[in-house]
Amino acid sequence: MSKIDELKNTFFDECGELLQDIETGLTDMREGRGTEDTVHAVFRAAHSVKGGAGIFGFERLVGFAHVFETVLDNVRHEKLVTSDDVMSVLLQAGDVLADLVGMARAGEEVPPGFGDECRHALEKLAGSEEGGGDASGDFDGIDFMPVAADDDFTPVAADGFDDMADLGAAPGEHTFRISFKPSGELLKKANEPLYILRELAKLGRLELTADASAVPPLVQIQPDNAYVSWQGVLHTMQGRAEIDSVFEFVVADCELEIVEDLPTEAEMPMAPVAAMDEPVEAEPAPPMNMPVPAAVSSPPLAPEKPAEASKPAAAKSTAGMTTRVDLEKIDRVVNMVGELVIAQAMLGQVVRDLPEDVAGLLSQSLEEVIHHTRELKDSVMSMRAQPVKTVFQRMPRLVRELSTKTGKNIRLEMSGENTEIDKTIIERLSDPLTHVIRNSVDHGIELPADRVAAGKSEQGTIRLSASHRGGRIVIEVKDDGAGINNERVLMKARERGLIDANASLSEDEISNLIFMPGFSTAETISDISGRGVGMDVVRRNILDIGGRISLKSDPGRGLLMQLSLPLTLAVMDGMVVEVGRDNYVIPISAIVECLRPSASDIRSVLGTLGTLQLRGAIVPILRLSDLFGIASARNDVADSVVIIVEASEGARLGVVVDELRGHQQVVIKSIEENYGIVPGIAGATILGNGRVAFIIDVDRLASLAGDGRDSPAPRAEPKTVAA
Amino acid sequence: MPAAAALKVLVVDDQNSVRQVIRLALEEIGVRHILESENGKDAFEKATTQPVNLIISDYNMPEMDGLALLRAVRGHQTVRKLPFILLTGRGDRDLVVKAAQTGVNNYVVKPFTNALLREKIEQVMGKLA
Repeated sequence: MSKIDELKNTFFDECGELLQDIETGLTDMREGRGTEDTVHAVFRAAHSVKGGAGIFGFERLVGFAHVFETVLDNVRHEKLVTSDDVMSVLLQAGDVLADLVGMARAGEEVPPGFGDECRHALEKLAGSEEGGGDASGDFDGIDFMPVAADDDFTPVAADGFDDMADLGAAPGEHTFRISFKPSGELLKKANEPLYILRELAKLGRLELTADASAVPPLVQIQPDNAYVSWQGVLHTMQGRAEIDSVFEFVVADCELEIVEDLPTEAEMPMAPVAAMDEPVEAEPAPPMNMPVPAAVSSPPLAPEKPAEASKPAAAKSTAGMTTRVDLEKIDRVVNMVGELVIAQAMLGQVVRDLPEDVAGLLSQSLEEVIHHTRELKDSVMSMRAQPVKTVFQRMPRLVRELSTKTGKNIRLEMSGENTEIDKTIIERLSDPLTHVIRNSVDHGIELPADRVAAGKSEQGTIRLSASHRGGRIVIEVKDDGAGINNERVLMKARERGLIDANASLSEDEISNLIFMPGFSTAETISDISGRGVGMDVVRRNILDIGGRISLKSDPGRGLLMQLSLPLTLAVMDGMVVEVGRDNYVIPISAIVECLRPSASDIRSVLGTLGTLQLRGAIVPILRLSDLFGIASARNDVADSVVIIVEASEGARLGVVVDELRGHQQVVIKSIEENYGIVPGIAGATILGNGRVAFIIDVDRLASLAGDGRDSPAPRAEPKTVAA
Repeated sequence: MPAAAALKVLVVDDQNSVRQVIRLALEEIGVRHILESENGKDAFEKATTQPVNLIISDYNMPEMDGLALLRAVRGHQTVRKLPFILLTGRGDRDLVVKAAQTGVNNYVVKPFTNALLREKIEQVMGKLA
């Protein structure tokens, strides 16, 4: 990638933020939440897009941004009232601008006439004089007369460079060349060269170069000797006497040379340039009694802002904030951390097996290692994390466009945009989330007239939020629309043979039928959400990234869709359990509690299932050994351990295992990639003893076991639903 | 005739990408000392405390815009003669007129070629060696 292409990418990244600022600002303005600053921010953002686009030569982008900016400027100066119509044009313009940026980024040709309608609307708002927004870049007839504060200012260009070098040499200013080499005596008398130089800097503009070439290797350094000397130039309004007074007390203990430059010796002030040819990042010139051999030369000393200010500005302005790193590099680190987690677990195993006297010290160090590995893992994961904002920010536009298309009046409220989640999950979240929102607009929120008839406000609201909840990220889409019409859902499901005609289902179970493959209730397939992609695909997408989706319908009052997502896909906290001679891992995030039930709490029911009386509630239980056909050492459930897990939609299930083997961080290895999808198994991992253990897919357990009562999770097989 | 390598240019723009493009162009012209600022305020501080002999500044910036920077520079005792080139977009004639009245030495319209930038710098600084 060429340097300029890289810069283009930087520009497009900046554009992403700027467009977001525009979007947010305009939305705030429309909602009446905008302040004067909001308008300024939007204006500046549009202007910045234009500025950057200009420098890279994206003409269409510049042209459009220019008109946009002009209208915003009118708003800013209160020449234009932000009526609904004006806001609508501005929001549209924000969208067109985003599209143009997108096309420029993709290197696509802008289709002729693209955005013209919006542009004309803007031009109308901008006023007639903006017709010629694309004026040529040359502004003839302007005289660039260098204006000075007083009359002796001479045009710079006319006088050529030699005069330039003398820049800043205002009348009455003297230029002194100073060479200062302290001796050891100076230090012994408790004088400090740095303070002297600071005094000197107070007299005017000081440009100094430190000469540290005489500094010997560290072993030979005598702390009370002086090795560094300084040469440079002082521009000052003061006279020679003032300079002499600075050196008054040390003049006997140093080699000092002060020469006044005559103004005509033009090359003098440029002398420091040569010294700066190879700018060296160095700490401020060290005091003589603290020699730093590494400092070969120090940058010129500027008054009040010493060396730090002279460091290359590029590094200073950006390096502090962000560095762009190839994602692949981070992934490599993630993988290595994964391997490290495994290696550390193996080490732990070895240490545990050692005789106690040897193990004592070792395990202490191991604790340290475990601690650091965990922190390392967390930091690496946070590097991969991104705020969900990147997905959320596309939604306002989606809702806006869809509501125009459907004639609905919808407001989108967003919160928790800064919640961070793994990049891969974010990328794969966009489609399902878009679909859920489309559904809310299309099927959820009613037409304004219907809403009024139902006693609701004309404007529908969709709330999109993200938050951390118990080691997972929960994304909620909540609308105040009609909710799910369960009667219709049930009818459709029966019609399509998705459920048994006689099945009796709870309201929640009926609502959840919409997640079943082949289900679509829209009476006519609209071009908004009826695109052949059903909620089952949405659910599949979410499951694929280790998430869960659930809904809560409140007929007539609204619908809540809840997406619960893991923070990361690579490493997780797991409980290692033993069944027969095999080990399995159950995700800690799914575990509610572990217990050894008493025999009286357990009731066996025909089939593989039993139930467990748990503090008054009845929880279905499932034996892993039965499910996977393993010969278990314990035949009696009362001898075993029951792990209560919570599957999607809050359904609880007791998983019966032989023993708990301990809590461990495990690296998730896909078996799907190498083998195929195994129902009930989410993946595999390598344990500390080097053995492979399967990771249980808790959500699928319930459906595999054929339980139908306590878990409203939709089943893959229609028959199980009917059971 | 000034050597490009001896020029010390302060580039002012709030957008990193724009600064980097100007830096790239300057480097190709042969300028080796380039300082950067994100806003007028920081630029003014750099211009008054560090050896700079040319400012190339954008107009639109937070804190202190390009015109305000120009005004501040022209009003400062020691750096008031500092050559100043304003970056501008197409169609910003009014801005350029205002800048000329404030004492700008030249302007560059974005996008520019290296040759154009060099030409503008030479118009201000004299032919570059």
